[in-house]
Amino acid sequence: MTRILDPKDKYYIDNPGRVRDIQKEMHKRGIDVYLGSRIRTMSFVLDAFCPWRSYLIIPPEGQPTYFTFVVDALRVGDETWLDSDHVRAYGPMGGMDQISAITDFIKDELGITKGRLGFEDGISTYTAEGNLTHWEYTHFKDALPGFEWINSHDIIDALSLIKDKGTIERFRTASLIVDEGHKAARAALENGGYKGITETVIAGIAALAMRKAGSVSEWNFAGLNEISSGYRTGLGACTPPTTKEIKAGEPLMLDYHAMFKLALGDHSHNYLIGPATKRQRWHADNFVAIIQKVIDNYKAGTTPGTLAAMMMDFAESRGCGDFIQPACEHGIGLFGDEWRIGSVVNPDLPYWTDQDHVYQENEMVVCAMQYAAPEEGIGFRYENDIVITKDGCEVLSKYPLGIEEIV
Amino acid sequence: MSELIEYLSPSWRDEALKRLQAELPPDKMNNVTTSMSNIYKNCPGGAEKFLFVECKDGKVTRVETGTGEPPQAEFRIIGDYETFARISRAELGAQKALMTGKLKLKGNLARALKLASVSDRLNKVLAKIPAQY
Repeated sequence: MTRILDPKDKYYIDNPGRVRDIQKEMHKRGIDVYLGSRIRTMSFVLDAFCPWRSYLIIPPEGQPTYFTFVVDALRVGDETWLDSDHVRAYGPMGGMDQISAITDFIKDELGITKGRLGFEDGISTYTAEGNLTHWEYTHFKDALPGFEWINSHDIIDALSLIKDKGTIERFRTASLIVDEGHKAARAALENGGYKGITETVIAGIAALAMRKAGSVSEWNFAGLNEISSGYRTGLGACTPPTTKEIKAGEPLMLDYHAMFKLALGDHSHNYLIGPATKRQRWHADNFVAIIQKVIDNYKAGTTPGTLAAMMMDFAESRGCGDFIQPACEHGIGLFGDEWRIGSVVNPDLPYWTDQDHVYQENEMVVCAMQYAAPEEGIGFRYENDIVITKDGCEVLSKYPLGIEEIV
Repeated sequence: MSELIEYLSPSWRDEALKRLQAELPPDKMNNVTTSMSNIYKNCPGGAEKFLFVECKDGKVTRVETGTGEPPQAEFRIIGDYETFARISRAELGAQKALMTGKLKLKGNLARALKLASVSDRLNKVLAKIPAQY
C-alpha cells in the first residue's frame, strides 16, 4: 500500500517537491527525460530502501516511475509514496529485461522518442554507487537512438546538499540509535567482559542493541560495523571486523552504523583496554584534543581545505603531526549518499571532495578523523554526523567524547 | 471428434468468450479488472493478428480477434504466431515462453505477476478449444 506523506510528521520529507525541483532543473538544461540509477537518487526521490539494481525515470512533469528487480517491487511499492502504477519491475522475461522494460516505457508510455536524456555516470570509492555500467549505457543508447545523453547527476547532488528539517530529524534519531550500540558495547566490555570477545562479536552486540532501538541496517558497505583492535587500529580508515580477540593492553576502535528512515547514523568511538601505557595515553589525548579542535571550527563559510590545514597545524603543534591523516570529514546523506563533499566535480581531481567547497547552514557531513601510528600498533578513528550551523555545528551522537581506559 | 475451428477466426472468438464466461467465474478470476492483447507476428498469410481479452471485476466481458492494431490493453504480449500456437496446443508453457524471450511482455511486470495464475487459467480454457492452426 502506497505511503501517505504527512507534513505534520517530524520526519516528513517533501518528496513531490523534490521531484518538481529536479524537473525545474531538467527544464533549465533542456533535458527531456532523466534516467537515474544511483542508490542515492532512489533514496532522495522515493524515500524507500532500494538495495537492488534500480532505475528511476523522471519525466518533464508528473510522478517519476521506478523500476527494480521483480523480487522487490511490491515491497518498495508498499514503502514509497509513489503510487503503485509508478513502481514497476524488471525481470527475466521477454520484454521485461532492464533495457526493454525501461526503453519501452520511455518511448511507448511517456511518448518521448528523441531529445536529451540525463543519466548518471562517474566514479566512486565504493562499489555500490550505482552509476550506469558500460553495458547498460551502450544497450540503453542502442535502444534509444534518437537521444543525446547528458551526464546530469549533479542535479540531484546539488539538490541533496542542504538537508531539510525532516531529514535532519532522521539523522538525529539515527545518531541516538548508534549511541545505544555504543552503550551496549561499553557494558559488554567493562569489568573484564572483553576477554574472549572478538571484533565480530562486539560488532554484533552493538548491532542487536541498535536494531532493538529502531535501526534497520548497519548500512556501511565496508564491513557493516567497523571494528579494529590492537595493531589493526593503526592500519587505516577501513576495518571490517575480524575474528581477532580483544586483548588487554590494546587500543580498540568501534565504528557503529545505524539506519533510521534512510538516515545514516555513524559514530566511531575509541577505548584503551587497560593497562594502558603512558605513550598510548599520549596518543589518545592528542586525538581527543584534535577532534575537539576540529569540531569547534566547523561553521557555515568554512571549507574542507581550511579545516584540514587547521587540523594539521594543530596536530603539528602537539608533536603528533606524523600520525594524523590529512582530512577531517566525508559527505553524508540518505542511504547511498556518502563520501565526497560538494556537488561540483573538480576537473583536476574529479569525484573527490572539493576542498574549496564553502559549507552552508543545514549541510551535513560526517566529521571523520583518523590517527594512525602503525609502527606502534595504535590508531584511533572518530566519526560523527554533524549539521553545519551559522556559527558552528550540531554534533548528533551524544556519546561523550573521550578515550577511556577499560579494565 | 469435435469439428476444428480456425484459430483466431470469428467462430473461435465466439467459442472462446462462451467458454471463458462459463468456465471462469469471477472468483476463479480473482475478481480482477484487466485487459490483455496478444500480438501475433509472422502469421500464416503474413498479416499481424491479435487476441484481446478484457475482464471486469473477474467477469470476462470481451474477447476480440482481428488483424492490425489491437484495442488498448493493460498488457501486450508479443510473439510469433507459431509460439502462441504451440502454447495453445500445450506444447510450450506460457511462462517458459516468456522466460526464454520467445514472448515479450509490455506493461507493469509487478502487476502482471499478480495476474500470472489468472492468465494461466485463461490459457488452459483457450487451449481446450478444438482449433485448426
